[in-house]
Amino acid sequence: MANTAVRGSLDQIVDYEPTTPMTDRQTTAFSDVTDERLRTLFDEESYVADGDVVTTVLLALRLGKPLLVEGEPGAGKTELAKVLAAGFDTELVRLQCYEGLTAESALYEWNYTKQLLAVQSGDDASVFAEEYLLERPLLRALRGGSPPPVLLIDEVDRADEEFEALLLEVLSDYQVSVPELGTIRAETPPIVVITSNRTRALSDALKRRCLFLHVSPPSFEKERAILARKVPELDGVVAAELCAMAERLREEPLRKPPGAAETIDWARAVATLRAEDDEPLTPEEVHETLGCLLKEVEDVERVDDSLLETLIEAAAEARVEVTS
Amino acid sequence: MSPDGQDRDDRYPDNPDQGSTGPDVPAFRAARDHVRDEILRFVRALRRSGVAVPANAEITAVRALVEVGFDEEATVRAALRACLVPDAEDLSTFDRLFPEFWRRLTAGLDPDGPAPRRDDGPEGTLAPLGDDAPGEGPESEAAGSSGETDQESESETVAASSALDAMVTDSRPDVDAEAVERSWFSPTGSRTRVSEGTGVGAAGRLAPAFDELTRGLGTLRGRRWRQGDERADVRRSLRSSVGTGGTIVSLPRRERKPDDVRAVWLVDVSQSVLDTVDRSFLFGTLRRARVEWRDCRIVFFDESARDVSAAFDEPTAAAALDALHGAETEWGGGTRIGESIAGFLADSPEALDRRTVVFVVSDGLETGDVATLEEALATLSRRTAGIVWLNPLAVASAYEPRADGMASALPFVDGLFAFGGATDLAAVGRQLRRHGLGGRIGYEYDPRRGGSKARRTNV
Repeated sequence: MANTAVRGSLDQIVDYEPTTPMTDRQTTAFSDVTDERLRTLFDEESYVADGDVVTTVLLALRLGKPLLVEGEPGAGKTELAKVLAAGFDTELVRLQCYEGLTAESALYEWNYTKQLLAVQSGDDASVFAEEYLLERPLLRALRGGSPPPVLLIDEVDRADEEFEALLLEVLSDYQVSVPELGTIRAETPPIVVITSNRTRALSDALKRRCLFLHVSPPSFEKERAILARKVPELDGVVAAELCAMAERLREEPLRKPPGAAETIDWARAVATLRAEDDEPLTPEEVHETLGCLLKEVEDVERVDDSLLETLIEAAAEARVEVTS
Repeated sequence: MSPDGQDRDDRYPDNPDQGSTGPDVPAFRAARDHVRDEILRFVRALRRSGVAVPANAEITAVRALVEVGFDEEATVRAALRACLVPDAEDLSTFDRLFPEFWRRLTAGLDPDGPAPRRDDGPEGTLAPLGDDAPGEGPESEAAGSSGETDQESESETVAASSALDAMVTDSRPDVDAEAVERSWFSPTGSRTRVSEGTGVGAAGRLAPAFDELTRGLGTLRGRRWRQGDERADVRRSLRSSVGTGGTIVSLPRRERKPDDVRAVWLVDVSQSVLDTVDRSFLFGTLRRARVEWRDCRIVFFDESARDVSAAFDEPTAAAALDALHGAETEWGGGTRIGESIAGFLADSPEALDRRTVVFVVSDGLETGDVATLEEALATLSRRTAGIVWLNPLAVASAYEPRADGMASALPFVDGLFAFGGATDLAAVGRQLRRHGLGGRIGYEYDPRRGGSKARRTNV
C-alpha cells in the first residue's frame, strides 16, 4: 500500500531538512511498543482508554517525549501514569507539585548530618560524594533501571513558574547537573507524565517539550464502561442510572463538576448500601449519597427538589434505554 | 522545486532514495515533499487562526506521522492534535481545519502519485484540492483543450476563494447575526423592576460586606509575611540550622503577603443604571473603596468618562455629594460603554497595571458600537489583574446576560455579579476569596439564585 510505503520514506524527512538536525530525538526503551500492546495493557489494568488516548500515549512512548495531560480534576490523569507503571511492571516515581516546591525537594539534597559527622570524625575523603547524596524524585527517575520508571509530575500548575524552568533541563535532555559531581544523564529516559488541572497557563518552553493530551469528562457510554470495570459488584442498570445522573449534573454550573473518579466513588457507595439490588434508585438514596459525587457544599445545596426530580428522570430514561 | 533543487514531479527511476526504501514505490521524493509541505501549510493555517502551535511542532508532527502512518484518519487526527494543540480551547479550531488537511494529504498520497499543487493564496490558508483526480497532473491538464483548462482554472479560483472566505468567516463571530438574537432586556425576566426590594440597608451591613470584598482582592503587598524571595527569613534560618549542627545551609526567604488593593471603578451613570441601582448603596461603596483601599480611582461614564475620585476624598458623604455637584458631574443619559472605556484608556494609561482590579458597574445596555466595546475590554483585560462586572440587573433570579453589550463583554470579564445591596457585595468578596479572579466565579455560582433554574450561559 502506497501510504505504508510512504511512511517508510518519511523517516528521511527530518534528515532531508538541512536546518533541523535530529539532536532532540531520544533513545527510548519503548520504540517497539505497538498500539495493540498498549490497548491490551489498558485492558489488563482496567483503564478505559479511547483511541485518542492510546495514540497519544503510543507517540509519547515511541518518541520519548513527556506527556502533558490536562483536564478537570478526577478525569483520570494521575491514574494514567499509575496504569502505565503497573502495565510495564516498573516503578512509579511521583513528584507532587505544590506552591513553593524547591529544587532540593525535587532533585537532590546533600545529607548534611552525615557530612558533618564525616568531617568531625576526621575523614579525609570528600563529603560531596555519592554516599552523601539524597535522591529526590527527578534524580531517582533519571537513574532508574531497566525498564525505566514512570515519572509522574502531578499537578504541575500548582508549582511556581520558577520550578518549570528547573524541569526544562530534565525534560529536554533527561539529565541533571550536580555541580559537585557533574552531569547525571539517564541511560534510558523514563516515561514522563505531567498532569495539570489548568489553574494557570504553563510556559511555552515547557509545552514545547511535550505532547498534549486533553482529557474531557467521560461520555455516558465510556463512564458505564469505567464503572463496569472499577465497580463490577454494582448492577449494570443501576450503574447506567448513576452515569446518566452524573452526566446531567455536569450540565449544571457547578463549582466542581464531577469527574470519573467521583462517579466511581458514588458507585462504590451505592453498591455498598444496596448490595445486588437492581431496583431503580430512589430520590432519597440519591440525596443521601450525593456527597460522594459533589465535593462542594454549595454544589450539594444546589440540588434542590426540582433538580433531584430532573436527575431521577434522567436515570429512568437511562434505565429504559439500557434494558430495552 | 524541492530543497535539493530537483523538480518534485519527476519520478526519479534512478533515484537512490527509491532503492533504499523499496523498489515498488514510485515518487518517494514527491510524496515526501507533499507530506512535509502539507504539514507546514496546516500548521500555518492553525497559527493564522490563532492556535498557539509550539515552535518545533512541525518536526514533532512529522515524526508522529512516521510512527502512526496514514491509514486511519482518526489516528492521524489524534497524533497531530497531540503535537500541535497545547490549549484545549483551540481544539475546535483544529477540528475545523483538519478535514481539509486530511483531504489534501491523502489525495497527494494516492498510489497514482501526488495531486498537482496549486497556489494557496494568502499565507496559511488551505485551498481545497476540489474534485481533482489525484493523478490529474500537469500532463493531463496539458492534454485537455485550452477552453476546458480556462474553465477549470476559473472554477479552481472560485473554490480557492470560497475556502478563503470560509476561513475568514469562521474565524470571526457573526456580530450581526448575534445582534438579531439578542434583546435589550433579559427575555426570561419579568417586567417588574429588578432592583426592587434590594435596598442597601443600614450602613452597618455595608461595612462587613465591604471588608469581605477587600479580603478577596489582595493584589498589593500588605503587612503580613509569607514564604517568598524578597528578603532573608532569619528566624526560619536559625530553626532549620538546628538540623545541620548550627550551619545555615540554605537561606529561607520571605516576602510581604498581598492583601491590599489597587482598583479602578468604572461606574455607568446612565439613566438605565440609575433607575435600577440603589444610589446610596453605590455611593457608600465607592466612598469606602476610595478611603480604605490603597489606590483607588473612580470614574463615571455615560457617553464619555470622567475621573471623579477627588470628590470621594471629602470627609463626609454629604460633602462628597456637594463636590460632585460642584464639579457639575452629570447623572443620567445614554450609554456608550466601549467608547467611554476606550477614552479612559487613552487619557489615563497610568491608572492601570497588572495589579489593578477593574470594577465595572453597568447594566451592559450598550448604545454604541459593540466592536468598540470588545476592543476596549480586550485591552483592559490585558493590562489589568482582572475585570469584575457588577450588574444591577443581575439581582433578578431569572437574569441572563443576553443584552448586546453584556454578551459581548462576557468573554473579557473574570466574573459577572449582581449589584443590588450589601449581601451582593459580600457574595462577590466571598467568591473572590475562595476561588480568586481566575476561578469559577460569577452570578451563576451564587447559591442564592436557586438550583435547577440556573443554567450555564453559552456566551
